[in-house]
Amino acid sequence: MDKLRDRLRSGVSRRSFLAGMGTSVGATVAVLATGCGNDSNSNPTPTPVAPPALTDADYLNFALNLEYLEAEFYLRAATGSGLSDTDAGSGAGTVTGGSQVAFKTPAIQQYAMEIANDELAHVRFLRKALGSAAVSRPAINLSGSFNAAASAAGIGSSFNPFADENSFLVGAFTFEDVGVTAYHGAAGLLTDKNNLAAAAGILATEAYHAGEIRTLITQLGDPYVTYANQISTLRATAGGGAETMLSGNTIVASDSNSISYDRTPSQVLHIVYLNAMAGTIFSGGFFPSGMNGTIIAAS
Amino acid sequence: MDFIDEKDRTRVLLEEKKSSRRSALLLGGAALAGMALSRTKAFAQASTTVTDNDILNFALNLEFLEGQFYTLATTGNALDQIGISTKGGDGTAGGTVTVKTNPMVPFQDPLLKQLAMEIAMDEQNHVKFLQSALSTSAVAQPNIDLMNSFNTLAQAAGLGASFDPFASETNFLLGAFIFEDVGVTAYQGAAGLISSKTYLDKAVGIHNVEAYHAAAIRTRIFQAGPGAQAISQAIAATRAKLDGTGTDDVGVGITNGAATIVDNDANGMTYARTTRQVLSIVYGGGAAGTGGVFYPNAMNGTIR
Repeated sequence: MDKLRDRLRSGVSRRSFLAGMGTSVGATVAVLATGCGNDSNSNPTPTPVAPPALTDADYLNFALNLEYLEAEFYLRAATGSGLSDTDAGSGAGTVTGGSQVAFKTPAIQQYAMEIANDELAHVRFLRKALGSAAVSRPAINLSGSFNAAASAAGIGSSFNPFADENSFLVGAFTFEDVGVTAYHGAAGLLTDKNNLAAAAGILATEAYHAGEIRTLITQLGDPYVTYANQISTLRATAGGGAETMLSGNTIVASDSNSISYDRTPSQVLHIVYLNAMAGTIFSGGFFPSGMNGTIIAAS
Repeated sequence: MDFIDEKDRTRVLLEEKKSSRRSALLLGGAALAGMALSRTKAFAQASTTVTDNDILNFALNLEFLEGQFYTLATTGNALDQIGISTKGGDGTAGGTVTVKTNPMVPFQDPLLKQLAMEIAMDEQNHVKFLQSALSTSAVAQPNIDLMNSFNTLAQAAGLGASFDPFASETNFLLGAFIFEDVGVTAYQGAAGLISSKTYLDKAVGIHNVEAYHAAAIRTRIFQAGPGAQAISQAIAATRAKLDGTGTDDVGVGITNGAATIVDNDANGMTYARTTRQVLSIVYGGGAAGTGGVFYPNAMNGTIR
């Protein structure tokens, strides 16, 4: 991963957010490191792999893993069923948890359905673009992962984003801004203009989702805004800052120039593996067996 | 449209020159009379190589428009009145802004007012960021029309003789709607033209922020109900018509049980527009180099 690291920006400036967080960060890191140890720390010593130069396909497969996660979350929430075997690819990993949300507000169900459609479309688009190089869906955990995240964030010992429509919005919040930062970080690493155009199109859709979810949570008010911000803090801890605390006048997550944040793949992996611990992490959190492809290690 | 009455209601801000004001109004009338909404008004093909500065200046023109709209809607003041220069990097004076008297929107919903103020700040930051990045190459603000423009577009979209985006919360949302998705498509189309990785990163970051804005605005239009949704659909259709595709724009509504908060295609991707398509929309079909509607004397810079 040295080459990758060399090519990626350190994101040090955005760590200023962490500096402002004070001592709670250290505590959260500790909780994260222990709370999710089951999945990540027990991973056997990895076989050293000489990293080849990363290609566009590597980055697109990295994105595909994230889209699998989002698609499974939203499809299950909106319809009760996840990706078809065809869409998940051969030898796909299992998905744990996730069920149809008992929506009470038609509008929220309609929002959920739209985002589910978008994420499914992203999976299909990336699989088609990658062709035979497309990775299959890795194992995904939508149950214990949210419990661990809630625990680490200080929300409570468990959290079921499928329990009701408001919880669903908080669950969605967990993913959306991360997708924006991930695509933003990857966009500049792509070499093919067509891939850049595709990434820009997907990324803006993720930003629409994020703006929508953040708007809806501010309208709900507390405790949901507080939950969202506890998750945001958790993401900042694991993912190099790059968060804007949610409030009525901070719908957009961006820096002081009103430019959205970006994250390195490693930072994104720390978040979705729910592990802020230093060192190389290969799995955990939402991906109990890690992602598939070449960009799989949080370092 | 009666320009005598309009003129009486008009407050022209910034470094106004009477001659330019008159010409702006006349051009507005000409654009209205012509209403070149069909594709027949072809744009001249750019023949020179486009530089990163050209693209960033194109973006700066768009940010001036958005910055003025949101700043006026939330404060009643124009950019230079709140301390943001509209001058060019070489000192060229900024253009005029044509807007009604007292454009501050009578917000009722505190959260919506906060959103409007947040977007205003973001657009101001984008102006300042691009001016800083472009330094002495930054263009001055062109003449901007935030009054006749909306009336003209309202007629084009079949929404009546006039439209005041500052009159109410819902009108403000619809006025904002006109810009935001266009900003997203403009940055997306321009991203592939930028050669500097640093500028590409920044452009993508602004592109994202515009998408956050668009989503926040569209979510609220969805919540405003079928009437507002229908208007957004008419505006989206007009934008698609103006850019020549007829298909690359989705208004707010419900399709097959799913909301259409996101303005994107069947692949779940937002649309990209070329600079020419963007110009056609913000000029209301006016010719390249001539301008119209929001930019009565065209943009400043090489892409205009």
